Amino acid sequence: MAKVRLIARLDIKGSNLIKGMNLEGLRVIGSPQAYAERYYREGIDELVFMDIVASLYGRNSIREVVSWTARHVFVPLTVGGGIRSVDDATDILRAGADKIAINTAAIKRPSLIAEMARRFGSQCMVLSIEAKRTTPGRWEAYTDNGRERTGLDVVEWAKEGSRLGAGEILLTSVDQEGTRKGFDLELLQAVSLAVPVPVIASGGMGSTVHLEQAIRIGRADAVAMADVLHYGRLSISQVREAARASGIQVRQP
Amino acid sequence: MKRDVAKMYSLPLQIHYCKKCTISNQRPRITFDAEGVCSACNYAEYKRTKVDWTGRERELVELCDRHRRNDGGYDVVVPVSGGKDGGFVAHQLKYKYGMNPLTVTWAPLLPTDIGRANLHNFIQSGFDSILGTPNGKATRTLTRLAFLYLGDPFQPFIYGQTNFPLKMAVQHGIKLIMYGENGEVEYGGDMKNAFKPTREIQDHDKHYFSGLPPEFWLQHGVGAQDIAPFLPPPYEQVVKNQTEIHFLGYYKFWDPQENFYYCSENTGFVPNTERSEGTYSKYASLDDRVDGFHYYLAFIKFGIGRTTSDTAHEIRDSKITREEGMALVKRYDGEFPKKYFHEFLAYCGIDEKTYHDTIDSWRADHIWARKNDEWSLRHAIWNE
Repeated sequence: MAKVRLIARLDIKGSNLIKGMNLEGLRVIGSPQAYAERYYREGIDELVFMDIVASLYGRNSIREVVSWTARHVFVPLTVGGGIRSVDDATDILRAGADKIAINTAAIKRPSLIAEMARRFGSQCMVLSIEAKRTTPGRWEAYTDNGRERTGLDVVEWAKEGSRLGAGEILLTSVDQEGTRKGFDLELLQAVSLAVPVPVIASGGMGSTVHLEQAIRIGRADAVAMADVLHYGRLSISQVREAARASGIQVRQP
Repeated sequence: MKRDVAKMYSLPLQIHYCKKCTISNQRPRITFDAEGVCSACNYAEYKRTKVDWTGRERELVELCDRHRRNDGGYDVVVPVSGGKDGGFVAHQLKYKYGMNPLTVTWAPLLPTDIGRANLHNFIQSGFDSILGTPNGKATRTLTRLAFLYLGDPFQPFIYGQTNFPLKMAVQHGIKLIMYGENGEVEYGGDMKNAFKPTREIQDHDKHYFSGLPPEFWLQHGVGAQDIAPFLPPPYEQVVKNQTEIHFLGYYKFWDPQENFYYCSENTGFVPNTERSEGTYSKYASLDDRVDGFHYYLAFIKFGIGRTTSDTAHEIRDSKITREEGMALVKRYDGEFPKKYFHEFLAYCGIDEKTYHDTIDSWRADHIWARKNDEWSLRHAIWNE
């Protein structure tokens, strides 16, 4: 079994790291650079940056943050938000990102996933899905930071995305995000069992027990954390220790 | 029939925007200083830098001490919708300041499921509640009239929302009514109440009813019994009860976004499943299907839609920058409320043509231009 990756997720708006609850009520937390560097020093395995206003401005304001981070932080960096084309992706990769996460543009034009995979390789193409529970056992894909419905079924979309060449799925539960009440385990399991590619659990981490559940019940391959880290509720070493204590394989610090 | 909107609302004919936020001088009663900054921004600055909040909380404790009852009777009326703001006020008063609130809700015209669920969750989290629901047929008639004559279908709701808590206070012999924020002060308007915690009953007609109290509709064939639920209690009774209306926003730093976190934690509040039409948020004003039309009409009359209002206060609260605010306004403001459009027409008993004719009668020439069969703002903020 591959080692479970611990990922810090930083949602970024303009020059600020922000944090919401159910992707709403976005609080300004601080400088994304400072937080990224701190998580790197404390031993995070990977980072995810999400520029959540990129589509609003129709441009990537995150480029500077990415290039600074690439010079100071040496773990894989996934960048998402407002990337609409192979050209946009090229720009962000040149700035120093290792992987690109795409949500809205892939929903509008699924063939973009294949174009990305052909050009940069599947390992670089992360399909980001914002999933909102509709009825028991069903989820709808959302865009615009959990604000716009698409009518797409999440499990079907995940299958389609991986078939087209997405190398990884970043799966965010809008219902659980920012609540610290645990991941949507049913959602994780439904998607993890449906696709052959790794699934990153995102949204709901409030304690180390939730991580264990996401791996064992949800079958996730990696866990993204935001709230618990940004507010200092858990340290990365605490998370790593607890994971190891429960028999989950994680990278040695 | 074209209305003289500028005259009715005393709007300046030269449009300009606040230098700090996204509001324009078309918001009724708002004022601007010599630097071009609006009264709401100046108040936000004052609130953040000048107010002694410890002293203000002491005043609140004194107020509560003066009103608190220990015999099981209610000692404060808190108007709530089930949303994050009223929820914060009620929960703080009861669980932090030891008051015994009676929470009072005026029914939405066309309630949403999420709004009902949130009100239910709120009551379950530990509150006594009274729901005032007026006769649906009369309310529909008033809504239609208010839309046709006043260009605001929300007016009947506002009557009830304003008057019903007062009526409940008088009926239950409760002297204190506690609201959340003073909208006039926080969002721009009459600043005479900025430096005191209370508001006067006499201001009701002027600030909330566009100068047209419920009795106005009697001349349009509405019966006295139809408007009765919307009326305030007789003024002498309000005085005899020694009723005082206070705003928690005077005593405690008012931050709607933080109320969201507080109520998620304490009163079971959940945001909507998608953003509200006409704006980007999904946690505010989500309990009435008629809401969107109220905000849309404000966009038509003043060029100030829901996104402008939302971004303006989020800029003042340092949640977003003015640049982001302008981008949001450009993207969402004035979005047509299509989700409940046909339901709204059926509710009011009007057809589409009447709707659009009515809407267009409220477009002032200094705000709107007609080009290539389309309406556009003469002075959109992103062009300034």
